[in-house]
Amino acid sequence: MPVPLRVPAHRVSPRAIALWLLRALAGFVLLVGGAALLASWIDDARWSWLPSWAVSNIWWLPVVVAAVELPFLVVEPLWRYAVHRWELAGDVVYARSGWFSRQWVFVPVSRIQTVDKEQGWFERVLGLATVEIRTASYAGSSSIQGLDAGVADHLAHDLAHRAHQLRDDAT
Amino acid sequence: MNPGDPGPMDGAAPAGRPPEGQEAPPAHHRRPPGPPPEPSGPYPPGAAPGGPPVPGGLPEPARVPGYGAGAPAGRLSPLILLIRPVRTLPSLFLPLAGLLFASGFSPVSLGWAAFGVLISVGFAAIRWATFTFRVTGDRLELTRSLVSRSVRTIPLDRVRGVDVTTPPLHRLLGLAVVRVDTGASGGKGQEGELDGLPLAEAERLRQILLRRSRAARGEPVAGGGPVAGGGPETAAPDSGAAAGRPAPASAAGQDRVHVRVPRRWLRYGPLSGAYLLTPFALVGGAVGLVFQVGQEFGVGERAAISAGDWLWHRPLLLAGFAVLLVLAMPVVGGIMYALFNWDFTLRGHETSLVAERGLVTRRSVALEHARIRGYEIAEGLLERRADVGRLWAIVTGLGDSRTRGQLLPVVPRTFAARTAAEVLGPFGAELRAHPPAARRRRLFRAVAPGAVLAVAAAVPGWYWITLIGLALAAAGVPLGLDRYRSLGHGWDGTRLSVRSGSLPRSQAVVERRALVGWTIKQTWFQRRARVLTVIAGVGAGSGGYPAVDTGEEQGVGFAAEVTPEWLAPFLASPPGPADS
Repeated sequence: MPVPLRVPAHRVSPRAIALWLLRALAGFVLLVGGAALLASWIDDARWSWLPSWAVSNIWWLPVVVAAVELPFLVVEPLWRYAVHRWELAGDVVYARSGWFSRQWVFVPVSRIQTVDKEQGWFERVLGLATVEIRTASYAGSSSIQGLDAGVADHLAHDLAHRAHQLRDDAT
Repeated sequence: MNPGDPGPMDGAAPAGRPPEGQEAPPAHHRRPPGPPPEPSGPYPPGAAPGGPPVPGGLPEPARVPGYGAGAPAGRLSPLILLIRPVRTLPSLFLPLAGLLFASGFSPVSLGWAAFGVLISVGFAAIRWATFTFRVTGDRLELTRSLVSRSVRTIPLDRVRGVDVTTPPLHRLLGLAVVRVDTGASGGKGQEGELDGLPLAEAERLRQILLRRSRAARGEPVAGGGPVAGGGPETAAPDSGAAAGRPAPASAAGQDRVHVRVPRRWLRYGPLSGAYLLTPFALVGGAVGLVFQVGQEFGVGERAAISAGDWLWHRPLLLAGFAVLLVLAMPVVGGIMYALFNWDFTLRGHETSLVAERGLVTRRSVALEHARIRGYEIAEGLLERRADVGRLWAIVTGLGDSRTRGQLLPVVPRTFAARTAAEVLGPFGAELRAHPPAARRRRLFRAVAPGAVLAVAAAVPGWYWITLIGLALAAAGVPLGLDRYRSLGHGWDGTRLSVRSGSLPRSQAVVERRALVGWTIKQTWFQRRARVLTVIAGVGAGSGGYPAVDTGEEQGVGFAAEVTPEWLAPFLASPPGPADS
């Protein structure tokens, strides 16, 4: 990492890999399904403005899409797990997220306005939770995904409590 | 924003907003030790934050929301079930009607339609049954546990205002919507909304929330509601009264006029490009009117169409008309600009800045000084040629700040900068340039689309499109260089500044105290180029002010320089190979 920031202390729960895998899988199914649908449509309609070799081989489209997407399906969850980290130190929440593109967020607890703990459907099944930390600006707001539900509970509670003690939201 | 509230200008005065008048006397505002004499009656008095809830006697026959950890959680009124399905009806109506008509009102289709309605009612019922709220010591918790469970926690000291509104359907049933404004950015999703409380209950909840939030902040008087940022924008025919607000002792003589924009500067107006399209709008409106009136008099569409047809076969006339319209653009645009910005005056009015403008309707917008966090100077391409620019204030809690926060129309740039420095505070540092990688990226982005077009068109042999692509690519070079020159960031010890933009360039200057956080972003391409984008999160204006494509060390260093106490714990130890 050439960016002169140290790595946040805590990883998210390893079960988050499963979460991201499930989400990626859902996207994968949608994408390949969409490609297959498009292929069957083109196959039926025989669009004349497409070159004939393309139309006659249209069923390769979903296959190619699947082949291209498949590595990402495996890579994204693992890569995310390597990148996603968080830390609460010196009354500042520091979180890193992303995979292809990365993002570092610094939110001082004194500026926090609301703390939400949220559990989506997959997250509930996996015993995970997301902590949404909001300030008066989107650029100072952060959400930490894939936390163990218990950890998220603690974090949300601590943050709300501490934010209440510090309270200076700069608005 | 509820315009019913008196504005922020009396924020320091002991008199607050109407609901506060009937609340506990100042002595009780700080964590009332015992049950204070409150008119709100059956509700437990504001328990000290974190302290044990006061169960109290709750003799209210209606269901009483628990305002303490021990009490049962509050629920919305079941009457809301009558409203929610009605609201979803318009979206259900078309498919249902389609279904009924298509099947000739057969019993089966009627059954399906009934099923659809039932589903929507059932869904509303489940939503109602799974939604609860409670006020515990120092926070409001909204819990929704349908398929996924979410708890929204709003610390009470973050509450800036509580809005009670009664839409028509709600009014029929005596219900109200309570919105808790936390000043959070983003849409309604980030605020607390209780849709469907009995009106009296809503009022009481509002009072309790406001009182406790003030107590939690330790403030004797209200700090100002959600309105505080802007105040209602009104048309004030008399230039002395600011935004129709009660301004008792302040006659116009007390105001300090910062700027009265000379009329000769109105000639810069067309450069802003704001009203240039008005001739087309006027013609469009005229054509529409002709159609409408024509039908009234029985001329009908046929005549209009044949007139259009006649015109179509006389291309010279048509071209002449088009040229005329284009020529009229700066003239009409300039006139419109002058109408709206006539005698633009910026004055200091007690604790606010008041911007007044307009010839026919005089508009006056008051911006409270305490809410102004910085300013923005914007210059379009033409404006830069003429060395002129516009000035906006960056204000907290002001929606639509681009139109309402305007402090100066198009004026010479140095004048705008001087005014900003005098009225809002100077920015005393040079902007730092961004690394050469940023220039490469700007150039690549400006040139690539044209180049790709040229190559793509050359393959099938469409050479004239190739030429266009090449021309675009060539034009991209100066554009990219210009965009690079726009980039910059700086910090002078109290304010930070970032500048960016392609054709229109804008520079924001923001006070440090307005910062609420930092976001640093790096795409994969940026990582290859060893640059990143640093976004200063600001609880005002557009919310985030980015320094685009700074060097890696430069960008992190910038954030660490402005707020060392936030970033210091997380900086990598200077040299040495970093991990991960």
